[in-house]
Amino acid sequence: MTAPLKTINMIVAALGGEGGGVLTNWLIDVAKRSGWYCQSTSLAGVAQRTGATIYYLEFIPRSKNQPEPVMSLFPAQGDIDIAVTSEIAEAGRMISRGFISPERTTLISSDHRVYGITEKSATADGTADTAFILDLSTRYANRFVHFDLLELVQRHGTVISAGLFGAIAGAGVLPFQRDVFTEVLAVGKGAAANRAAFDESFDRAHSGGVALYDPDPPSVFGLPEATTPLGARLLPLVAALPEGVHEVVYQGVLRLLDYQDEAYAADFLQRVAQVVDIDSGHNGYDLTQETARWLALWMAFEDIPRVAQLKCRPARETEIREEVRAASGQFIQVTEFFHPRVEEVAALLPKAWGQRLLNSNLLTKVLESMLGARKLRTDKVLTQWTLRRLAALKGGRRKSLGFSQEWVMIERWFSAVLSAPSPVVAKAIADCGGMVKGYGATRHRTTSRLLVILDAIKTQDVVTADFICRAQKAAMLGEDSAAFDDLIQSESSLMEHAVQ
Amino acid sequence: MAERSFSEEVKKLRAGAGDIFEGEGILAITKALLQSGVSYVGGYQGSPISHLMDVLNDAQEILSELGVHFEANGSEATAAAMLSASINYPLRGAVTWKSTVGTNVASDALSNLASAGVTGGALVIVGEDYGEGSSIMQERSYAFAMKAQMWLMDPRPNLTSITEMVERGFELSEASNTPVFYMMRIRGCHVTGEFTAKDNVAPAFNKHAPVVPQREPEKIILPPYVYEQEREKIAQRLPAAIKFIREQGLNEHFPGRYESLGIITCGGSYNTVIRALQRQGLADVYGNAEVPIYCMNVAYPLVPDELIEFCVGKEQVLVLEEGQPEYIEQGIQTILRRRDVQTRVYGKDIMPMAGEYTGQVMLEGVTRFLLAATEQQIPLELDLASVLALQTPVSDEDIAALMENLPPRPAGLCTGCPERPLFSAIKQLQEEMGPFHISSDIGCHSFATAAPFNLGNTIMGYGLSLASSSGMRHALPHKAISIMGDGGFWHNGLTSGVTSAVFNGHDGLLIIIDNGYSAATGGQDIPSLVEPSLIASTIDAQQPQREQWQSIEDACRGAGVDWLQTVSTYNIEAMKHTLREALTTDAPGLKVVIAEGECMLNRQRRIKPLLKKAIDTGQRVDRARFYIDAETCTGDHGCIRLSGCPSLTIKDNPDPLRVDPVSYVDNSCVGCGVCGTNAHSAILCPSFSQIDLVYNPTRFERLRHGLRARVRNWWRDRDLRRRELARL
Repeated sequence: MTAPLKTINMIVAALGGEGGGVLTNWLIDVAKRSGWYCQSTSLAGVAQRTGATIYYLEFIPRSKNQPEPVMSLFPAQGDIDIAVTSEIAEAGRMISRGFISPERTTLISSDHRVYGITEKSATADGTADTAFILDLSTRYANRFVHFDLLELVQRHGTVISAGLFGAIAGAGVLPFQRDVFTEVLAVGKGAAANRAAFDESFDRAHSGGVALYDPDPPSVFGLPEATTPLGARLLPLVAALPEGVHEVVYQGVLRLLDYQDEAYAADFLQRVAQVVDIDSGHNGYDLTQETARWLALWMAFEDIPRVAQLKCRPARETEIREEVRAASGQFIQVTEFFHPRVEEVAALLPKAWGQRLLNSNLLTKVLESMLGARKLRTDKVLTQWTLRRLAALKGGRRKSLGFSQEWVMIERWFSAVLSAPSPVVAKAIADCGGMVKGYGATRHRTTSRLLVILDAIKTQDVVTADFICRAQKAAMLGEDSAAFDDLIQSESSLMEHAVQ
Repeated sequence: MAERSFSEEVKKLRAGAGDIFEGEGILAITKALLQSGVSYVGGYQGSPISHLMDVLNDAQEILSELGVHFEANGSEATAAAMLSASINYPLRGAVTWKSTVGTNVASDALSNLASAGVTGGALVIVGEDYGEGSSIMQERSYAFAMKAQMWLMDPRPNLTSITEMVERGFELSEASNTPVFYMMRIRGCHVTGEFTAKDNVAPAFNKHAPVVPQREPEKIILPPYVYEQEREKIAQRLPAAIKFIREQGLNEHFPGRYESLGIITCGGSYNTVIRALQRQGLADVYGNAEVPIYCMNVAYPLVPDELIEFCVGKEQVLVLEEGQPEYIEQGIQTILRRRDVQTRVYGKDIMPMAGEYTGQVMLEGVTRFLLAATEQQIPLELDLASVLALQTPVSDEDIAALMENLPPRPAGLCTGCPERPLFSAIKQLQEEMGPFHISSDIGCHSFATAAPFNLGNTIMGYGLSLASSSGMRHALPHKAISIMGDGGFWHNGLTSGVTSAVFNGHDGLLIIIDNGYSAATGGQDIPSLVEPSLIASTIDAQQPQREQWQSIEDACRGAGVDWLQTVSTYNIEAMKHTLREALTTDAPGLKVVIAEGECMLNRQRRIKPLLKKAIDTGQRVDRARFYIDAETCTGDHGCIRLSGCPSLTIKDNPDPLRVDPVSYVDNSCVGCGVCGTNAHSAILCPSFSQIDLVYNPTRFERLRHGLRARVRNWWRDRDLRRRELARL
């Protein structure tokens, strides 16, 4: 007895605007040209562009002496032969909904990410773990075909639907000939680009999909040899540190040389050596590594000269042209959105002058009326010249009000790391250095919360890394301070007003 | 101009007798209406029947050839009132909307229509927005059909049944003088398939063949006629309907060899039942089942004799009816008890009370039902434990970890949406003035209630935000704030909101978002059309024009609003200033701010071809997009929390020292300028740049650009030489 005839069931999960509807219509067309029925339906949702959209298709051969088949409109758990997702987190969603059956389902997915709003809006890194979803997909799908389709289709100047169509054909999950797929693609706008993306995608899926995707092997960092007298002075100091911290410290030295001068970099190296002394060497000297990372970044804090310097950096124009896909020889105009405030100007001045400016209501008002929102065209010569003059002010940075203010805070954090009761706590305090980010009000918020954490642990009898981690996490939740304040108040004897 | 054009597909509506028609459910319904000799059609857009309105709109040529009258109604109430044409005259009419929300709006006219009764067939095609993919609160249309005594059709979801039942619906309506709901579920609206077409039929009455005006006082809904109408519903119309359904075989009986069992299902769930039986080895793919099925393509009224005939002699039946309460099950129980039929009725005791009957739900329910049989043992391919295990093959541990790593994807505002800067402005104002209570409304702007804006406390219905703020405006620490779209304003907001608020001296703020379209439902036209907005360096060669443009501002002033300002949403500073003024002014009465900016989806559709043409014909064009300097971005993502634009995203940090991702503008950016304006307005950071790509520059520009580039390159080369010297 032959097995009863069954439909081939396919679910397609795409994001709004990715062409899931177009892909579905192509598949219907392929089935029709091959003498099959294809029924499809969709949950397109509202017209907006950010939601997930689901398409569901069933295929069955036509038979002259049979009535029209009765097909389901619902994808059902345990009843899916093919699941196609345009993005890897959506593959995870299909698994979570039970649509991927180990004994039956072929999962075809692009393994690039399109971030959701909660991932994007986190103050630090809120992104999902792609490696975990890849691992899960490998374990739960009967077959898992995946590669970076976005990179592929962008190279061919088309959209993800053409790549998915190629992957479906190449994976051989539908009983239709390759010619039929390409016939369907041969019409309409962008047929050539679609075809090129189809062909490459077909081949990669045909050869298993996964084998060809090989991320760069983890590189082993080797400290370069000195080529200049400057290098001969500084690199041996780096080389004297444990090998695990070489890369971060080397990058830090480069950063601070670019930011200030040799003496500043040497100061950094001397501080790193202090951390090495208290580092137990655990986890490849991660205490030293993380302290060095955040120390270098904090030491290279973004004041007006630094921002001006970065805006004039040599590679910038090329980077922009590549990013916006300017044609060779095409003109571009670059307009910066600056909003300097009195505080930033005061930070530039020598310490006493800066203080005087901030203390004077009149001066502050006058300056405020002169500053404010500015749009500056950095492709213009005069603007470039002005920015270059501002960048040159770094010569007086050490005497500036901003520099002394930053260093008071850096010293508080750095000494807290050095005087921590245990290496684990020291590491947790060091990690808090990552809180220092943003500009203006954001920078003020993140940095002052760091100082609150440092104050809070002073009041505790037993300081734990766990508390510091939780406080850091709460501090990075965003503008709303409720969660952070609650935590600090409940677990330290800091008064409410101190939290403010 | 709607989001999706059906101008190609509507050609299929010309198919004649014997042609095979292929397409989507919605298109098939339109074809069936034309085959039925419909005289007038109307409705109000809303998922899942938005496309039905779009199809009708795009089919005007064919409709006018046949003499079919079409109106894009102002609301569902307007659409329902249109059906009064069928009360006195044998005109067939059909209207459509999203249900239950649209049915609620239309309910006054519907009740009166149902009381008066119809002469010509009247069909209300409701898109039953229930279950997965729905965008509204969950209720069923069934209750309305029962209380108003309208019939409710729920056909099997294949195009042959769908189209056949449209025609039958008109006949049923006429045979019983009763308007009929024709219910389409979300998936049924979008299902693709094929059916054999018939010729279109021109309506008997239209502008070429007018009716003779006639008065039938007994069809007016005033006493004493209403008492007779109520009696007639039960004494004449209901029996006539039941007789017609039975004689014409609208409901279907599929026999099966396990005769002690039976499944009673609504037409819409039939395919899911067959699939469940098929997976249990009790049906084939062509629908031949071993368990008898009674399929009700008319879900209301029930046909007692058919149900008795089906149930008599059976040990047990299963009633499949989505949602609550279990009206059908109760009806069947009553019918069986009255005739003393002892068949055990399974229903909501083994099926979930709330929610859709999805594939898994159906398989579980049918399995439980089959396992309960004692007279005949039914061999099953899957026992209950295996069925339950299908729900998820994933271990608890993996599911827990997975849930941590699945970003939710709520619907949000599109790239470049003009509503985004408005909500950025409100969010900034909130930082300044303290937390707001905001009465929200239906429309794209509803998404501001979600991340990243988190603005809005209640949504009471389309155009009802202002009305819904009136009960608490005396108890708020700030002036009441209501946000309404232009669609909601014209649908209901002008009368229920503005007029009533002015009458009651409402001292609050109403923000009307004027984007020129009914955007959330797919960009359909509405009475007002926004002026082309000022968007950074996109061209506006052609100002959109609509005949007989109706002005929101004039409407508000006409309703008595004195304090009214119109502000471009993209001007965040001006918007903040205006809103702050509206919330602090001593001026009495309602303050209305019209926040203006053309829907970006529609705008892009409109200007893209113009832009391309301008570039191709050698005109000088600027195309703007935004860019974030990864070197100055510190990865705090404050810009994203103020915007949520899909094109404003994140990428790995290219800096070897930093670890958190940097903000990043991808190539879908349309250059609306909100990032830059936010960076200014909220004093965020110096990382945003606007990049203008210049096409076909003038000769002078070329010369100037060349000089600038030479100076910049000289600096750049000098920098590189210096950097070389400062190597390690």
